Amino acid sequence: MPEKVYVGPYRPQLVEPERFELLVEGNRIIDAKIELGYMHRGIEKLFTTKTYMQNLALAERICGICSGIHTLCYAQTVEKLMNIEVPERAKYLRCVYMELERLHSHYLWFGILAHSLDEHKAFLKIMVERERVQDLLEYLTGNRMNYLINTIGGVRRDITPEKAEKIRRFLNGSKPLSDYIMELLNDNGGFTRKTKGVGVLPREKALEVGAVGPTLRGSGIASDIRKDDPYAAYGELDFEVIVENDGDVRAKALVRARETYESMKIIEQALDNLPSGEIVAERKEPKIGEEFGRTEAPRGELVYYIRSNGTNIPERVKVRTPSFANNFAILEMLRGETLENARVIIESIDPCFACTDRVTVVDAKTGERNCMCLK
Amino acid sequence: MGKISVYRFLSAGCNGCDVQVLECLVPRYRLAELNVEVVSNPEEANVLFLTGGVNIKGREELIKVYEKINPPKIVIAVGNCALTKEIFDKGYPMVGPPDQIVPVNFYVPGCPPRPQAIVKAVVQILGAKLEDKEDYWATPEGFRGKHEFDRDKCIGCGACAQVCSSDAIDVIDEGEKRVVRINYGHCSFCAFCQDECPTQAIRLTREYHLLTNNRGTAYIMNDVDLLECASCGAFFFPQPQIDWALKRIIEEKVPKYLEFKDEILDAMKLCLKCRREIMNMKKAKKILAELSAKARGS
Repeated sequence: MPEKVYVGPYRPQLVEPERFELLVEGNRIIDAKIELGYMHRGIEKLFTTKTYMQNLALAERICGICSGIHTLCYAQTVEKLMNIEVPERAKYLRCVYMELERLHSHYLWFGILAHSLDEHKAFLKIMVERERVQDLLEYLTGNRMNYLINTIGGVRRDITPEKAEKIRRFLNGSKPLSDYIMELLNDNGGFTRKTKGVGVLPREKALEVGAVGPTLRGSGIASDIRKDDPYAAYGELDFEVIVENDGDVRAKALVRARETYESMKIIEQALDNLPSGEIVAERKEPKIGEEFGRTEAPRGELVYYIRSNGTNIPERVKVRTPSFANNFAILEMLRGETLENARVIIESIDPCFACTDRVTVVDAKTGERNCMCLK
Repeated sequence: MGKISVYRFLSAGCNGCDVQVLECLVPRYRLAELNVEVVSNPEEANVLFLTGGVNIKGREELIKVYEKINPPKIVIAVGNCALTKEIFDKGYPMVGPPDQIVPVNFYVPGCPPRPQAIVKAVVQILGAKLEDKEDYWATPEGFRGKHEFDRDKCIGCGACAQVCSSDAIDVIDEGEKRVVRINYGHCSFCAFCQDECPTQAIRLTREYHLLTNNRGTAYIMNDVDLLECASCGAFFFPQPQIDWALKRIIEEKVPKYLEFKDEILDAMKLCLKCRREIMNMKKAKKILAELSAKARGS
């Protein structure tokens, strides 16, 4: 007789509140269901009450961890609406800031992975070293999170030679942390033992559920918006799209670990080839119409759709975050696994429920509110 | 108070503050030195850290968690969402701020507050001491912290309230004064007000220790004199703004209007209602005609 096991919403394992209903027989998970809504804030509605500029701050607060990429994707879409040509220097600066954010997001994920694998030594080591990227971001942008560095038409703060020197020093100091993580992930590493063969997402299934980002790349599919549809200065920079074929949690971890090296490579190149000139272009009136923009967030493809009626307030803003796309992959991966592994599998997609919770479905007959129930 | 066990609760925020609380565990922030640990079960905790503005769904969970916390049940709201819901203030699912659901003892404003601010708050609440180490409390150049008004520069125009991304700035006319109030407990620290201020009167300082036990006091304010209407006597417009505008028109933009300075000033001293009266309209038309004649003549 299968029984139901509830994980969450406020359970120790998870950083953010969400509730998983697992159908379990013996120790095997037969089926899974996600219930969200603990983070729902009605953001898409709020977007239509603020001006294009004010919405930058709102877009940023969809998610505190990948906040920079939200403002970039939003700003790029608005720039299309306003027909603004972003200065070359701003494009390169955007790459620098966004790759720093990817580093901090990936390192945080490794910290949480170590935490959920009960590797406390590794957790502390990663979190201590990660403070360096947080300090650097605070020094460059003025805030540890929610930096609000991208603006419509460019960036808000320049990188002086002095700051560039500091970034270079930081990069040299970060390589040991990435090496340390790679060590944990080699054949005998601490992470490998507990993650190899766990939560396998086969290539076909990954495509079927529409996974994005490292979750998809861990299943052997080379998909990266930075390469496929280059934005900012990514088209002019040389980097590799990391792919792993195993599809298990270890493969996803390896993708992220190897991506940190690519991020460092991108930052170095962008700093070396930084063009001179303005960092922000003047804002214009938005045209009447709709635009669509996408970027590669640390967790995968991020999509913004904005419809304008020509006023200074958007008529509709729709956001598709990577965690939303990847939630369906969790359900696939959970099926057939043991209960002990549930926690690490859920963590493996780097779920960001602050990103996801924007949909409320209200049942008209019963008046029951359901914040997106997947099954 | 013996060992402090902290339980984190988050509902309807961006989770930035939650990550900052997590980061406090790093040895660098020395929370462990204060005998503080973060626990994963509310039944083991005696201090509750709240982040986020609480929505319909989080409300019941919050009440459940609060009941499980052991005495002395100290509740600390971390971050501006937990103070005032900040930018999500008008979001339809929001039922917070949390202090309307459970009693909150202390508030730590910030978006997000630095880990140092959270640690300092704990230190202050406990009355403990944390040995000052070099660089521990330092902020980098350009950090966006608490606001500061330059009283001599502020002209009371209210441009800051217009561009504010989270409706944190109130402009209130009270009698013969206009009050501009920045509620930093409601602020998202985007610094749009600093960028837009025409006279550079607002500056975001590097101060970030903002612990308070009454969120109503989390504001700074400035007042400017209002101008009395020359005709009906009502207070209608900030005096410094008139001076600033006149100076800009005559001294910076169109110096040739200098000889009409008094007439322009007279016209500006009338409130909106009085400006529309026949007598004043005639007068205004006359000034305009003279100005345009002057412009053509040169």
